[in-house]
Amino acid sequence: MAISDILNAVVELDRIAVVENVKTAIIDGVPFDDILNKGLIASMDVVGERFSNGDIFVPEMLQAAKAMQAGLEVLKPHLTCDVLTQKGTVIIGTVKGDLHDIGKNLVSMMVEGAGFNVVDLGVDVDIEKFVSLTQTHNADVVCLSALLTTTMPTMAKIVEAFKESGLKAKIIIGGAPVTDAYARQIGADGFSDNAPGAVELIRRLIAA
Amino acid sequence: MNAKERMEAAINMKPVDKVPNAPFAEAPVCHYFGSTFKDSLLEGPEMLAAHMKSLEEFKFDWVMLGMGLIGGIIPEALDCQVRYPEDVFPIIEKTSVFSMADVAHIAKNNMFTQRMENFLDGVRLLKQELKGEVPIACEYISPFTIATRLRGTNEIMNDIYESPELVHGLQEAIVPLDIAVGKALIEAGVDYIFYGADMECPVLLSPKHYKEFVHEPTSRVCNELSRLGSKVLPHMCGDIVKTGIVDYLLEMDIHGIMPGNLTQEKVLDIRVLKEKVGDRICIFDNINPNGPLLIGKPEAVAKETLAHLNRAKGMSGYIFSTAGTSSPYTPKENYLAMDKEVINFQWN
Repeated sequence: MAISDILNAVVELDRIAVVENVKTAIIDGVPFDDILNKGLIASMDVVGERFSNGDIFVPEMLQAAKAMQAGLEVLKPHLTCDVLTQKGTVIIGTVKGDLHDIGKNLVSMMVEGAGFNVVDLGVDVDIEKFVSLTQTHNADVVCLSALLTTTMPTMAKIVEAFKESGLKAKIIIGGAPVTDAYARQIGADGFSDNAPGAVELIRRLIAA
Repeated sequence: MNAKERMEAAINMKPVDKVPNAPFAEAPVCHYFGSTFKDSLLEGPEMLAAHMKSLEEFKFDWVMLGMGLIGGIIPEALDCQVRYPEDVFPIIEKTSVFSMADVAHIAKNNMFTQRMENFLDGVRLLKQELKGEVPIACEYISPFTIATRLRGTNEIMNDIYESPELVHGLQEAIVPLDIAVGKALIEAGVDYIFYGADMECPVLLSPKHYKEFVHEPTSRVCNELSRLGSKVLPHMCGDIVKTGIVDYLLEMDIHGIMPGNLTQEKVLDIRVLKEKVGDRICIFDNINPNGPLLIGKPEAVAKETLAHLNRAKGMSGYIFSTAGTSSPYTPKENYLAMDKEVINFQWN
């Protein structure tokens, strides 16, 4: 069993093959870290690149993420807790007043697929919840999503609340109406206009 | 020329006396001039009052309505649980379609709820007051985008692979309802159906899936609304030229295209679209509503507006607009700066 078979099965959106290939790799004695990093996580990088290039679209991203997750479920019992959390913890949610979740879910899946510990707070999340759960989970990065121009201003309030609370977690923002200029204007630490870009941004911020 | 004559001339590729000025201004209009944002989106007399005040100050060449309709009234009529906050767009709190049984159920729904009637009253009141001198445009949505409202965007995007029969079946149920509401809008006085293809745009959906899932039901609705006397004007984000989606749009009985954003910060160059469509249909310009217009200063807005106008100068079938819905929180001085540039632009 080659690691590339796992990667290719994710890229081809073949959930059944991913599960079978991960099981075979485990039986064959392939190191668990390699299955995770060179197979499953690497596959989502390929998927992200294909999405960024316009070769695949949202339905394919979702199917790839599901395939990757299915493989991860098979692998998880063999991994130590450290392996799943060592890259960092990321909190994500759609801000208060906004119930849109497609962008948030894509980022959540891609970030989890990249090996980070993700705490997904869902939609319509109020400021206090972002603050308190960032403290509880000692999160490294907080991702804020908004689809509506009417809910964008809440992002600025969250950035302000984090400053007032003395939280050091980096805040990144995204969503249909959100721009890099807006991120700079409100003092966020970054912006991405797509899910793969968010993963790269999180990697850079945590490495910094 | 009055506003209606100017817009009709542009749509029909005829010369205009000045640039037709038709931004997606409903949300700012309701925010600047409404008694409350919610009532101005939804309730007849408040809609009338806000848009008449807006015309007096901005002198737009159309009245644009519909955010409350597509975001709240239609999904609610199809069993979604919708909240109507005072100061933001309606919010769908609970979707309504979980299985084919739900599809069969919603197909029998009466779309003409009290909220729908109140909205249609607003259209009638405006029609009466405008005396045919200013056209009324209404945002509208495709069967596919309605399906995402009823089922959830994630779910529909997964269904494309996991339950394609549900995607087809749900749209099949929606088509006659979509036509019925469109017909009522036209009868109430809507001149232009502004057909928002939010969820099937090539930012989200592949051209292959557009053809497989979206094109046929959308064509049926657009063609019927055109036959009923409306000008049908699709709005779509993403690179509709490069992906070939524009070819599908051109197969329908449409009268113009409003291209939206490519990304949050970039819009499609309408000269590329013009090269593709020629004089077959008109083109709406696309100032980014999330750029300087929302977060910049009036000087930056004026500069960007002028750049768009200069790029389009001499183009047949050109109408100035924004690339999508403007935020209600767009600073009024920015909207005024944009408006002033368009009104004063020497087109001829």
